[in-house]
Amino acid sequence: MAYSDKVIDHYNNPRNVGQLDKSSSEVGTGLVGAPECGDVMRLQIKVNPETQVIEEAKFKTFGCGSAIASSSLATEWVKGKTVSEAMEIKNTDIVKELALPPVKIHCSVLAEDAIRAAIGDWKKKNGVAEGAAAPQAVAAQ
Amino acid sequence: MQIAEQQSVKTACWSCGADVSGPLCAACGKVQPATEQDYFAVFSLPRRLSLDTKVLEREFYRLSRRLHPDLYARTSELEQQWSTEQTSLVNDAYRALKDPIARTEYLLKLEGMAIGEETTGKKQQPPADLLEEVFELNMQLEEMRMGGDDPQLRSDLENAKKQFEAQLAQADADLAALWAKWDGALAEGDLTAQMASKEEMLALLDRRRYVRNLVRDVNAALDGQSGDAPTP
Repeated sequence: MAYSDKVIDHYNNPRNVGQLDKSSSEVGTGLVGAPECGDVMRLQIKVNPETQVIEEAKFKTFGCGSAIASSSLATEWVKGKTVSEAMEIKNTDIVKELALPPVKIHCSVLAEDAIRAAIGDWKKKNGVAEGAAAPQAVAAQ
Repeated sequence: MQIAEQQSVKTACWSCGADVSGPLCAACGKVQPATEQDYFAVFSLPRRLSLDTKVLEREFYRLSRRLHPDLYARTSELEQQWSTEQTSLVNDAYRALKDPIARTEYLLKLEGMAIGEETTGKKQQPPADLLEEVFELNMQLEEMRMGGDDPQLRSDLENAKKQFEAQLAQADADLAALWAKWDGALAEGDLTAQMASKEEMLALLDRRRYVRNLVRDVNAALDGQSGDAPTP
């Protein structure tokens, strides 16, 4: 099974590898895993409290090329989006963009889970109910 | 994907009419059409996980000899075809059952549990503490590998290797205990206990896969380290 050029590009030049301050109220952290292959993925977002825009995103993934590429792409896509726009990202979009084969679809599912987990963590920190629109001003935890 | 329950389904031998289970008729010895038997049924075994692999191996050789396509050169075309199909089924079944992990995974799949890399649906995430532990261990491992000329590095890696291998051994011991639980629940027909042991085995296999990867990665780091040039 050959990796697509886009997967290889993200694998060789992963975007936004690193970490953000986990304790900051503006940062949401998602840590997810795919037990079928033993991958683990951490994705973090930094959200502007005024505009709800995701201004920064970082990831660190221990896993196969497809998992690294999926999370790298996910950080690229969430940046500049509002939190609710980022929730719209679907794993199938990642599959399409990276031309992932069927055995690697779970890597894209993992990346989607990571985005949602990071947003969920941010919402929890800022007292935003799941599914509800975020308030304009948020109190720091 | 749920595989239909067809444990101990008996069919009649096409030649002598006796009840058959498995690739050969016990009464007249004729090869049977290859049906969608599960791998345990191929060896006429109950779905027990504690399994004597010596006995399995003997049975595998016995069936392979009896099913060898050369023996069927003078039989009907159908029997020739069946002997080929049964030979390949017996090979697959043996490969899946002789390895403890493959056997456990196969049983869970057979029993309708979602398992394997092609599982695409939304699944429950592994427990957060396991993920955090694995992530942390991976970070440490990566730091060690980046350590370059640090003389401390090799002994750190050796220690990590020992720690991961001990965790892997523990997972295997835990798995053996769960086999006993499953086999007991199966014998008693206790469906609640069967379900519970299946869930526990699934969770344990998930954990084991993470630990196995850590062992693999620490070994790779140690191999890379023994060379002259540090690996990127």
